Amino acid sequence: MSKEDKKQKKGWHIGRSIREFVYGMAAHDTARFALKTRGSMEHLFILITMGDMLGIPILPPYYSLRLLPFVVPQISTWKRRMLREKDFTDTLA
Amino acid sequence: MNLTQVLAANPKMKYIMFGGKGGLGKTTFSAATAYHLAKQGHKVLVFSVDPQASLSDIFRQDIFGKGAVEIMPNLFAQEIDADRRVQEYQQQIKQQILDRYGFDRIPDEIESYIAAASSEPAMEESAIFDAVVDIVFTGAYDYYIYDLVPLGHALYYLSMSSIYDQWINKITELRAEMQRYDRVAARMKSEQTTDEDEILNELQEIRKRINLSSSVFTDKEKTGFFFVVTPEEMTILDTRKAGELFSKFGVPISGYVVNRVLPESLLNEEIPAYLRHRIQAQGEPLRKIREVFVGRVVGSVSEFERDITGLEMIGRVAEQLFCD
Repeated sequence: MSKEDKKQKKGWHIGRSIREFVYGMAAHDTARFALKTRGSMEHLFILITMGDMLGIPILPPYYSLRLLPFVVPQISTWKRRMLREKDFTDTLA
Repeated sequence: MNLTQVLAANPKMKYIMFGGKGGLGKTTFSAATAYHLAKQGHKVLVFSVDPQASLSDIFRQDIFGKGAVEIMPNLFAQEIDADRRVQEYQQQIKQQILDRYGFDRIPDEIESYIAAASSEPAMEESAIFDAVVDIVFTGAYDYYIYDLVPLGHALYYLSMSSIYDQWINKITELRAEMQRYDRVAARMKSEQTTDEDEILNELQEIRKRINLSSSVFTDKEKTGFFFVVTPEEMTILDTRKAGELFSKFGVPISGYVVNRVLPESLLNEEIPAYLRHRIQAQGEPLRKIREVFVGRVVGSVSEFERDITGLEMIGRVAEQLFCD
């Protein structure tokens, strides 16, 4: 590895560290919140499209099948979340 | 106006449908219209959207699930095998899941969900509804003749399409919002923005298909929707009600065709009193038809001495239906 390359690589490391530091200080919470909201929406989406898995038929099933392949990995966490023992009034709080 | 004039006055008319109560002669008129247009040199496809289709019976040829079958030059007929279509569709979904995640078998809960969803009563209807899109928008025919399901089902198709549409609009909004959150998270982490949302694309594709399928029903230029009515009190009442409902869904009604009219010329012949009474008794309903559907009766076809099956009988119906 030439000297030039090493220098460049070091610069890149410093750059990344600074970026990660700033991210941790300022943006991490925002990003986490965005992802969390995104996750809830994902579950809401599956509820609307695949509701009949829990006995809540919503969409005519022909087209919900068409969407099924895209949400397969999320199905089990979604079910766990939806069926979690929880007082329904919790959601009102 | 008669049926010939209606077609001549609407040169863009491409989709022809006969609607009405069950057993009044929708399939007969569909076949006769297809026959007439084919004889005139147009390439015609008559197809059935009814799970209990009867085109095979009327053409005396088994065409069920065989795609478009040529009955005579220029005349093609098709009966959709909804059952098989649902089967193939399920298989396709399963294969997609296997390929996508590299599974060697479908997880149990997914498997049972697919099975449950496929046995829903609406499944067959939806499958046919969806199949129509492929038939109508990929074929190269001059005319498409829909052998429609009885009234209730046809209305179900129409209402389904508007409900689907609203539903998908809502869902699309939700997906779009999810995508925004994805982007925010990605930007915060200085990552590349994630791939475009495949589900959103899929939803848009679904909506496109539903809209295409239902737009045919409401296209004033390209679609001719005719009601079949018979000279019977009950049928007239039902047909009038159905006409109002269809109008509400924006289906342009092009006319009413009367079927099963006993020829009055028979009264001049030696006929049994029974038949004489039947012929006289239809006078009142016939008057009523002209009064209720004033100016919109575009054809009248008599009761024949035998069932309408086979091309020869279909030809005789076509002659009456498209007389000048």
